[in-house]
Amino acid sequence: MNSTENLVKRLPNDIGGLPADRIQQIDHELLPWEKRCHALADVLDFHKIINTEEKRRGVEQLGGEMVGKLTYYERWIVAFAFILFQKAILTPDELAQKMKEVESRYSRSTL
Amino acid sequence: METHDHDHPDVHQKSAAEPAPRYYEIMETAVRELLVEKKLVGPGEIRRQIEVLDSRTPALGAKVVARAWVDPEFRARLLANGRTACESEFGISFYDDTKLIVLENTDKIHNLIVCTLCSCYPRPVLGLPPDWYKAKPYRARAVREPRAVLAEFGTDIPEDVEIRVSDSTAMVRYLVLPQRPVGTENFTEEQLAEIVTRDAMIGVVRVNLENRSTP
Repeated sequence: MNSTENLVKRLPNDIGGLPADRIQQIDHELLPWEKRCHALADVLDFHKIINTEEKRRGVEQLGGEMVGKLTYYERWIVAFAFILFQKAILTPDELAQKMKEVESRYSRSTL
Repeated sequence: METHDHDHPDVHQKSAAEPAPRYYEIMETAVRELLVEKKLVGPGEIRRQIEVLDSRTPALGAKVVARAWVDPEFRARLLANGRTACESEFGISFYDDTKLIVLENTDKIHNLIVCTLCSCYPRPVLGLPPDWYKAKPYRARAVREPRAVLAEFGTDIPEDVEIRVSDSTAMVRYLVLPQRPVGTENFTEEQLAEIVTRDAMIGVVRVNLENRSTP
């Protein structure tokens, strides 16, 4: 089989049936921002801005490296940002600006 | 629970002891605030949804299972339409607008649920899934070697019992109706609910009396 063929047939999320490690029965209490991110996902779905399937596809489109290295809710928030850019609901500039503003609030408050 | 959101424009409560947020947390706050500024999301909506999420735990699913064990007519309604039975008889709202299929374990069939593509889960009745449910080993292997997966949870299913693995989707979610253990004939519905665990409703373990929590 051509070496790139599997990249096409198996997108990053499509792992059902693949060999994998022993199951580690791990869990963690969500961090406050992770819970907010989950609630945001639900609210985006309620308003028909991003539905569950779009979210799943958005995560998949992050590509194998990001899917592998980012944590669960890190993948979600990055996927939301990209989807909101694609839908022209947000622009990359707008988000960068807002992130700078949010960050400066915290650096001020710790001075 | 109190549902106040009128005077809390920011969901995040700052405190001096809190470390500075990391990149992704800053992104979350920025996306949320931009959506609120654009009036695409109401200011209190995220907070309200967090309250909904917090209100959903496996204890809800356990109540449904216990009712199905004591009330054959409810069991029939639950198996016919899981969502309608939970909504109309327990007042459980399906905030994610998913369909719920309840899978009954019997002497001949053991059910297991998974979401191979991501992390779809019967959240209205069980809350959020545990991390292992969302991680690669469970998602990859549950559909290929369920007996080996079950063995890692300490569950041994006899060879003559068929194992059925159901793969969840964005729109269709599953809940396992475990078998009622022997020795529970005199239990009340409330006592039965206490022995039903999250993992039993995912199907990775059976319900057994050792799960009983001390009052």
